[in-house]
Amino acid sequence: MGDYLFYGLATAVVTFSLLAVSLPNLLHAAISLIAAFFVTAALYIMLQLEFVALAQIMLYIGGIIIFMLIIILLTTGLGVENRLQVPNSSRLAGAAVSATLLFGLLYAISGKQSAVLVKSVQRAAPVTMDDIGLRLLATGKDGFIVPFEIISILLLVALVGAVVIARRENSVSNSHGDGKEERA
Amino acid sequence: MTLSHFVILSLMLCAVGVYGVLTRRNLIGILLSVEVILNGANLNFAAFAHFRASDPTAGAIFPIFVMAVSACEMAVALAIIISMYRRKKRLDVYSLEELNG
Repeated sequence: MGDYLFYGLATAVVTFSLLAVSLPNLLHAAISLIAAFFVTAALYIMLQLEFVALAQIMLYIGGIIIFMLIIILLTTGLGVENRLQVPNSSRLAGAAVSATLLFGLLYAISGKQSAVLVKSVQRAAPVTMDDIGLRLLATGKDGFIVPFEIISILLLVALVGAVVIARRENSVSNSHGDGKEERA
Repeated sequence: MTLSHFVILSLMLCAVGVYGVLTRRNLIGILLSVEVILNGANLNFAAFAHFRASDPTAGAIFPIFVMAVSACEMAVALAIIISMYRRKKRLDVYSLEELNG
């Protein structure tokens, strides 16, 4: 039962990811990426990592992809302008490079049967949200308080930097000008 | 459902994302393909945390840090895209070539 469910979900996530990287309209691509992230959240639940599944849905689908959809709509006008033609030669070259990567890595992990993959018979206990919260704020040897604080500062700096980069460059001169900006 | 299944699945996701990065012409499309690669990497972390780790909580925390860094990256990259769209009015990587040496 679990195996069939895994195969179904894996087929779904690979299919939706392929659609996301190959659909010509970017809006459709972003929506199929949302579907791929939902299926990935289901895979996390199969791995008994509920918190990661919830974070996946809230952060990726609720935050990053919605942000990306807004940018697509802002820059392209409903995504229709984006049907740029990709030449078949570059499509073939990309497929060849990624197939080489895939089969090379598959050969590398299946050739010698590394000990890490073979000895994986025991399953860990499910990770509860209490554990994750306590570990994130623990100050001891195995606590994660320092990376937690650093990542919050990094998020703040990145968001302020994003606002600074995306600001109009002539906004200062316009505000001192004849006030056309305010009326418009 | 073993660890090898998950490793092979995340390899396939990585290959799909690399194909997207190499063939997309739009900057936003390239960012979208990078998200596919990061998704495969997160799946790998979670699978190793479930099947192999002596400390599965640490393995569950790591994908969350990856997600936060990915959110930072996305914010800065999309700001750069907006600024570039204002300047050039297009996002086609074939026509944004003035940085070549």
